[in-house]
Amino acid sequence: MTDPTHHSLIEDTQGIAFGVVMAGLGIHVMTHMGFVTGQTTGLAVLIAYATGLPFAGVYFALNLPFLWLGYRRMGARFAVKTLITTAALSLLMAVLPRWMELGTINPAFAALLFGTLFGIAALAVVRHGGSFGGFSIVALMVQDRWHIQAGHVQLAFDVVLFAVAALILDPVMLGYSFLGAATFSLFLAVNHRRDRYIAA
Amino acid sequence: MTDPKSHTLLEDAQGLAFGATMAAFGIVVLTHLGLVTGQTAGLAVLISYGTGWGFGPVFFAINIPFYVLGYRRMGLAFTVKTALSVAALSGLSMVMPGWVRFADLNPVFGAVLFGFVSGSALLAIFRHGGSLGGVGILALILQDRTGFKAGYTQLLFDAALFAVALTMLPPVTITYSFLGALTVNVVIAINHRRDRYIVT
Repeated sequence: MTDPTHHSLIEDTQGIAFGVVMAGLGIHVMTHMGFVTGQTTGLAVLIAYATGLPFAGVYFALNLPFLWLGYRRMGARFAVKTLITTAALSLLMAVLPRWMELGTINPAFAALLFGTLFGIAALAVVRHGGSFGGFSIVALMVQDRWHIQAGHVQLAFDVVLFAVAALILDPVMLGYSFLGAATFSLFLAVNHRRDRYIAA
Repeated sequence: MTDPKSHTLLEDAQGLAFGATMAAFGIVVLTHLGLVTGQTAGLAVLISYGTGWGFGPVFFAINIPFYVLGYRRMGLAFTVKTALSVAALSGLSMVMPGWVRFADLNPVFGAVLFGFVSGSALLAIFRHGGSLGGVGILALILQDRTGFKAGYTQLLFDAALFAVALTMLPPVTITYSFLGALTVNVVIAINHRRDRYIVT
């Protein structure tokens, strides 16, 4: 047995690989249905829908400036792990359509499924010291500088995203997207507990 | 924040619901590809392939005798959680093929995906005090009585299952199945750590 309070390199690798595959499947399901979501992934998906550009490329490019901010706020180790995680996810998204072609999916189930998959992906990656990068870094910096809670900044970002999405999507699709995003948030709110999963 | 040392009823409910949903999704992937796996679920899949009966009812029926053993060895809470998880997996595995369909699925990716999804399902169910029943309980009781390691009993059971599967399925299907079962076991072996996820 390895040290209970610290993950080994192999343990972190399998945790982040698991997270990337779950996130990739979640995004695959979400984009197959034409749904949107919050945060950086949501912004990338909106841009991909509006421009027709591939999600993988948009997502990776969008994360680069945040990577620089992440390096300045959280250090090199965090930035490298984030770079590996986002690069792996972008790569997986580029090949996933060839490995898995989805057929018909019940939209309510699809929403619950992508929310749950995002949730377990984020949980695994965060527990193993990685990150899917992006806007949350900005939220943390805003919190440092202006003392506005990071969670509130992220919420405001999502409100703007969904407002823009409302111009593009019909209300039913928007409703399912909201269901998925809410599932994701609820899952993390219940399960992201550093006082229960004590390894770092 | 709730007590870090013990889960509330609601926390357990969402954990078991997550586990049953992910496990059912794993079974949808597994049976779509015509693969087999180990343990009680593997026996149910083999019987299902051999007889044409659905996985759900077979899995549910096989598990019934184990509840008595589970109650005597592990107590009431464990048995109730196990029965609920098994019933949820049985039910979901019957309806989920109608909720999500694959047009095309790469068998290597499918096998690894099955392993990740089922591994995290079992992990969540274990961490919330339940199980998916069956052979695991029998193996623990055998260890109590004779000192023969539970892990070896499970290994022997799986060896017998795969030997039977070899007479029914082509070697390439067995190879993919083995990859999937290996992934499940690696996920559990690395991540099932009561010294890290400390809630009891």
